[in-house]
Amino acid sequence: MYQFMDRVARLFAILGGIILSILIVQTCLSILGRSISSILHSDFMQTNLPGLASSLLSTGVGSINGAFELVEAGMAFVIFAFLPLCQLKGAHASVDIFTSQLPARANVLLRTVIEVIFALVIVLIAYELSQGMLSKLRTGQTTFILEFPVWWPYALSLIAAVASAIVAVYVACMRVIEMATGQTLLPLDLEAEH
Amino acid sequence: MSDITIGLLSFPALLILIFLRVPIGLAMFLGGLVGLTIVSGDTTLAFARLKSETFTTFSSYSLSIIPMFLLMGHFATLGGMSQALFKAAESFLGHRKGGVAMAAVGACAGFGAICGSSLATAATMSRVALPELRRYGYSGGFSTATLAAGGTLGILIPPSIVLVIYAILTEQNIAKLFLAAFIPGILAAMGYMLTISIYVRLHPDSAGTRPRVPYSERFKALIAVWPVLLVFAAVVGGIYQGWFTPTEGAAVGAFGTGLIAFLGGGLTRATLSESFFVTARSTAMIFFIVLGAAFYNGFLALTQLPQEAAAWVGASGFSPWTVLIIILVFYLLLGCLMDSLSMILLTIPIFWPIVQELDFNLVSMVDLQSARLDAMIAAGKEIPAAALAEAQTMLASGQELTRELTREIKLRGVSEGALNRVNIERTAIWFGILVLIVVEVGLITPPVGMNLFVINAMDRKTPMVETYKAVMYFVGSDLVRVVLLVAFPIITLMLLPI
Amino acid sequence: QEVTLKLHQFLPAQANVPKLVLDVWADKIEAASEGRIKVDRFPSMQLGGTPPELLDQAIDGVADVVWTVVGYTPGRFPTTEVFELPFMVEDARAASCAYWTMFEEHMEDKEFKGVKILGTWVHGPGMFHTADPVETPADLEGMKIRGGSRLVNQLLTLAGATPVGMPVPAVSEGLSKGVIDGTTIPWEVTAALKVPELVENHTEFEGPALYNLTFVLAMNEGVFNGMSADLQQIVDDNSGMNFSVFAGGTQSDADGPAREIAVEMGNNIITVSDTSEWQALVNPLYDTWVADMKGKGLDGQALIDQARGLMSGECAGAMGKM
Ligand code: NA
Ligand code: NA
Repeated sequence: MYQFMDRVARLFAILGGIILSILIVQTCLSILGRSISSILHSDFMQTNLPGLASSLLSTGVGSINGAFELVEAGMAFVIFAFLPLCQLKGAHASVDIFTSQLPARANVLLRTVIEVIFALVIVLIAYELSQGMLSKLRTGQTTFILEFPVWWPYALSLIAAVASAIVAVYVACMRVIEMATGQTLLPLDLEAEH
Repeated sequence: MSDITIGLLSFPALLILIFLRVPIGLAMFLGGLVGLTIVSGDTTLAFARLKSETFTTFSSYSLSIIPMFLLMGHFATLGGMSQALFKAAESFLGHRKGGVAMAAVGACAGFGAICGSSLATAATMSRVALPELRRYGYSGGFSTATLAAGGTLGILIPPSIVLVIYAILTEQNIAKLFLAAFIPGILAAMGYMLTISIYVRLHPDSAGTRPRVPYSERFKALIAVWPVLLVFAAVVGGIYQGWFTPTEGAAVGAFGTGLIAFLGGGLTRATLSESFFVTARSTAMIFFIVLGAAFYNGFLALTQLPQEAAAWVGASGFSPWTVLIIILVFYLLLGCLMDSLSMILLTIPIFWPIVQELDFNLVSMVDLQSARLDAMIAAGKEIPAAALAEAQTMLASGQELTRELTREIKLRGVSEGALNRVNIERTAIWFGILVLIVVEVGLITPPVGMNLFVINAMDRKTPMVETYKAVMYFVGSDLVRVVLLVAFPIITLMLLPI
Repeated sequence: QEVTLKLHQFLPAQANVPKLVLDVWADKIEAASEGRIKVDRFPSMQLGGTPPELLDQAIDGVADVVWTVVGYTPGRFPTTEVFELPFMVEDARAASCAYWTMFEEHMEDKEFKGVKILGTWVHGPGMFHTADPVETPADLEGMKIRGGSRLVNQLLTLAGATPVGMPVPAVSEGLSKGVIDGTTIPWEVTAALKVPELVENHTEFEGPALYNLTFVLAMNEGVFNGMSADLQQIVDDNSGMNFSVFAGGTQSDADGPAREIAVEMGNNIITVSDTSEWQALVNPLYDTWVADMKGKGLDGQALIDQARGLMSGECAGAMGKM
């Protein structure tokens, strides 16, 4: 089971990484297009090589229209897709200076309660995100420049949010079983390296 | 119970949760959820906010800079930039007393120029420098403390994720904040090197020696750091010059470092996946804190606590300097227990409205008029010669220009409102840098110092206590720098045009 | 008090609309109810979220009353766009009056179902504020301009400019950093954003404006229905047609002082009196818009005709007073 969850979490992290990379490349292309276009519009080109400049410009070279919106739409998926791995590896920042003084049993209890609450919160987030998506679907709201439906990026994010919720629930269940049985089911010291 | 009381009570509640090891983002999220439910009477409001707020928080264009900077730092390591930096620094400084430690600090400063995060800088440079330090006989605690302190340069020297968050919270210009961070960052690196030379004089047995490197090899090592300079110039320079937005700059940096790593053979399918995993964990952690903070701060605003607090401080008659010092000390204390990003996200929405109302008089009308006039001259605008001469005489003698004169010259942007705006902006930038430094001190102050933990995890043989002892020297150097920057705002604001 | 209303919007408290319109409205309701209604004001998105979410915040009860730009949620309220068409609106009072009339007839039970609308209005003439002078559409070519709405963005694209989407509060920064070469906004907003200090050229149009934006003041339906009948009456008395015309008129009256600042600074104010070249450019926009509306089951041409008829007919010379 852990193997499976691990594979799911890694798969989403890689998907997120790929989308992130695409957004990075798209942003760079947009800057490139913008630079070329402003060189073609420059006084130098317009006075010396007006023919070349206008024929190049007519190919539509320029910044990518609505690049900003694509980054926003894609980034929501990227962050949700990064969440399962963070959840599975327990990579969230916390302060353990006081709890390290507590007896081991108290720590186990604390850890279990926290993971259960965390799972509930992420399930809640995924559920409300689905409500948000349905509302955007109903109202037909679009983005400003590219005018694509806002519910599309919501739906993409929802897929990753559901994966996060599944992983979070899995981790919580394992912690509960661990506490009940005293066994160790999840690898210890999940987050050694940062 | 009034809403403000609920808001006030939420602080201790939040701290208790955090000290019970509840992840900080989750603690703030719960604080917001429970707080909103109490204040509004049921869960409708809190749940309704979640319908779109997670999505809009995660899809923020400005925040997308964070995963890009994280990826860029990782690619820089894969491209061999951390090794190149350390080698170059070591070849120049290594033979001095404490020289290898100084080289580590220098390399951290260089790496900080292309990495937006302290933890990443600390971890990356430790991997390179820790073995070398131990090889040349540097003691365990001194080595780990040096790298923990050096790691903070990752955030002090631009680009910096914490500054990005600060800029978003206070609606300030990211490029200007990066520029303002530059001199304090260099001062930090110099301060740490000075600290090292003092430390090795006080503890002569804590550092060994290393042979001198011939100049031919030094320059070869220096030339190998060109990718770092290129990336820094493109990213930070490009953002400042207005060639692109900060997010675009981060994209250029990530693409450039990725390309360099790929061409150098460091970027393969396996290392690329590993980069995604590391970036994924840190990004998700940071964004969950951002989400929790947004949720919690929305609740605080609803209780009207930040607005009332600002009004109260404004009416209390405290001098601006008193308020500033209290806030900075508060950060230093909280920094012993919390990490920098969480502190900024949690407290800036409360402190910024207060600080915004404080008048530190960083710019006078004469300064503003002089700056605007110089800009006009530099831009080659036509100015009536007689009026110009008169204006320059007046400004040189510290006199404000008359309204008639400014109109004759067509001097723009010198209204009272403009002066006020410039003052608020400079206050925001100066305060931001001060906060940045004090929260970074928190990364190396015992007991909870994230940098200390990261490095100690990489060098299990050194007891934590040894690190704690040695790191206090670096904390001392930080404190001296804070005092300096508070006393002389011009150090921070020097590079910024008015 | 019996009812506390959370009024949420995206501008700072001292900006024109919050100060001259929303505060006036809120103060009047507080006074008329003798303190039984209290309006807590949350400027600058203090309660969280982004400006496009404001309307949903009112629907979902995150806030009780919101003021928002309808165009922030393109595609949701297509009928309102009739007042956003280029060169459609000349007088903000007449347009706000027509907007309220058509709101009651076409939108109240359809597009705005599920939320109580208290006022509908448009701002004064929208225009260009640019680094380099703009007199003809050709001057826009290659410029990066922040557009105010979906239709303005289409106009900019037609003229060969690159439309950039950014919220109003980000405009100063965008101009000073050269991220944009210019912006479209009415005069009224320029003072707070320090636009006259950042760019030297302003292009206004004689007759109908280059564009207008539509606003609504919206209230959560459940909160309104939960109030006692006499308090509901107080809210209704201070809302609707009279308030809408007052709001549109007040906002466009604020254009004058803001324009003075630019004049004072010696900026270059271009007034285009022969708008034929611009009209020719935007004519296709009317056709696409009517076709768009057809796709949504709306008769766009009829809406245009009705709006024009109202503005030159019964709404001409409308005055609103609070
Ligand atoms: Na940095
Ligand atoms: Na600390």
